[in-house]
Amino acid sequence: MSESDLDIMKPETMKSYIYLQTADGSVQQVEQEVAMFCPMICQEVIHNGAGSSKNHAISLPQRVNTAMFSLILDYCRFHQVPGRSNKERKIYDEKFMRMETKRLCELTSAADSLQLKPLVDLTSRALARIIEGKSPEEIRDIFHLPDDLTEEEKLEPLKNTMDDPRIRLLNRLYAKKRKELKERERLKNVEVEEHVDERSVDDLLSFINGRGVEDTGCRMRDLSSLEDEIFTPNAGCEDDEIDPAMKEMLDREVEDFARRLNSNWVQSLGQERRPVHFSINGNGTTRRHIGQPSGHN
Amino acid sequence: MNNLPEDCIAKILSLTSPRDVCRSSAVSRCFRSAADSDHVWNHFLPSEFPEDFRAPEGLPTKKHLFFSLVHNPLLLHGSQLSFSLERSTGNKCYMMAARALNITWGHDQRYWQWISLPDARFKEVAALKMVWWLDITGKINVSLLSDNTLYAAYLVFRWNLDPYGFRQPVEASLVLAGTEHDDVQPSMVSLMQNPGSEQGQRAELRSDDWYEVQLGHFFKRRGDMGEIEMSLKETKRPFEKKGLIVHGIEIRPVLP
Repeated sequence: MSESDLDIMKPETMKSYIYLQTADGSVQQVEQEVAMFCPMICQEVIHNGAGSSKNHAISLPQRVNTAMFSLILDYCRFHQVPGRSNKERKIYDEKFMRMETKRLCELTSAADSLQLKPLVDLTSRALARIIEGKSPEEIRDIFHLPDDLTEEEKLEPLKNTMDDPRIRLLNRLYAKKRKELKERERLKNVEVEEHVDERSVDDLLSFINGRGVEDTGCRMRDLSSLEDEIFTPNAGCEDDEIDPAMKEMLDREVEDFARRLNSNWVQSLGQERRPVHFSINGNGTTRRHIGQPSGHN
Repeated sequence: MNNLPEDCIAKILSLTSPRDVCRSSAVSRCFRSAADSDHVWNHFLPSEFPEDFRAPEGLPTKKHLFFSLVHNPLLLHGSQLSFSLERSTGNKCYMMAARALNITWGHDQRYWQWISLPDARFKEVAALKMVWWLDITGKINVSLLSDNTLYAAYLVFRWNLDPYGFRQPVEASLVLAGTEHDDVQPSMVSLMQNPGSEQGQRAELRSDDWYEVQLGHFFKRRGDMGEIEMSLKETKRPFEKKGLIVHGIEIRPVLP
C-alpha cells in the first residue's frame, strides 16, 4: 500500500476509522492506519470501497475470532508506526510471541487469512521451534492431534530415510520370490500345500544364504526373469495378497540377512571388501557378482 | 493445529529440518500430507545447483529427489566430480576424483599408476609406486558450495600392500586462492592412525572402507567467490614414499 493511497484516503489531518466485523457479528471501529496494515483489509477498502461505515463493515474471515483480532490489532498498532528501530521491533516481537501453543496456532491461522505475512512468519518460526527435535507422540500431545495413521503408514517414513540400495535389492528379490511361491502353491495339489509352504521358506532361506536350492520344480523361466528384475531400476515390488504370517516372516528374514550382510562387511576389515550382488543361475543356485556399488558414505 | 490449512503447516515444517519433517509424517494424517508436500522438500533442496546438474529421472516428488541426492551421488564435470546432499541440512557435498587433482609426477608411470578399483566412485584412482616429491593439490570453486556453511576438505585414500615413508606427519593446507600463501602455515597431519601420534589431524576410517584425513576447513559466506586450494605435501624429507592410493578429495559440511 503506497504513500499516495494513504494521502488520497486521508486528505484532512483528522483520524478516520475503518469498520470491521468479526465472525461473531460484532462490529469494531479501528484506526485506519492500523487496519490498513493488513493486506486483506487494505484490498477491501481500496478495491471494493468497503469499511467506511457501520453498515458497510468489512467482514473478516472466519478464522479471525475476536480474541485473535485484538492481538493482531496490537501487533499492527505497534508495527505500523514508521519511526521504530529494528531492535525495538525485534524485542516487541519476542515478547509478543510468548503465549501458549494453542493460541499460537489460532494466531497463525488468523494472520494467514488476513495475509499478514510478517506475523505469519513470526508465528511459524515460533511453532517450528516447538516442533524441532520432538518425537511424533510428543508432537501429537502438544497440538492435540488425532492419532489417525495406521501402523503401516507410520513405518513408512523409516523406509524412506534408510534407503539402502542393498536392502532395496533384497526386497525386490524377496517380492519376486514370493510371487513365485504363490504361483507354485496354486499349481500344487491341495493335500501337499502345507509341505509346499514350509519347504518354500526353507528354500528361500538357503537360496539367500547361497547354499544352493533344492530344485523342487522351480521354473527356469521365472528365475531368469527374476534376474532381469534385479538389475532393472525402479522395478515395482507389489506385495500382493500373500499370507500375512508368511509375509511377516519373510520381512524378518530380509532384515536379518541385511544385518548379517552388514556385520560380515564390518568384520572383514583389512581384506578387500566389495559389495556383493546375488543373481540367480538358471538352475536356481546363486552366483556372487562383484559389481559397482552406488557411492555412499 | 487441526484448523490450520495444510500450506500453513507446510510452511512451519519447512522451517525445521529434514529429520524433523520425516518424523512429522508419522504424527497424523494432516501432518503427513503437509510433510510430504513438494513445498517443504523444495525448501531443503539447494536453491542453486551446479551448472551441469540434471535431476535423475523417474523421481515422483521433491522428497524422492532429496533422498536420491543424499544416498546416490551424481557424477558431474565429465565424471570427475561427485555431487550429493548432506542429509540433515540439505547442504551440498562434493568429491573430486584423483584425475581432477594436480598430482606432481602423476603423469609419469615410473611414479604413479592409474588403476580401477570396483569400490571407487570414479573410473580411476591414483596408485603411488614410489616418489620423493609428494604434492597433491585440488581446487574447487566456492560458488559450488552452500551459503553460510562451514566446510572441511578431506583427502580420501587407502594403502596398498606395503606402504612406506608415511610414518611421519605430512603437510596439509587449505587456502582461498589469491591470498598470500606465505602467511598460511600448513598443518601437519598423519596419514597413519598411529596411537601416540603428536598433535594434529589423524587419518580416520570411513564407512565406505576408505581412509580420510582433514586438510583444512572453510566457511562459505554468501557472495564468496574464487577457488579454494587444498593440498597434501611431503617434499622436505629426502626419502621415498610408496604405497598410497588416492581416491580423491571430499568437501563436505562440518556437522555440529
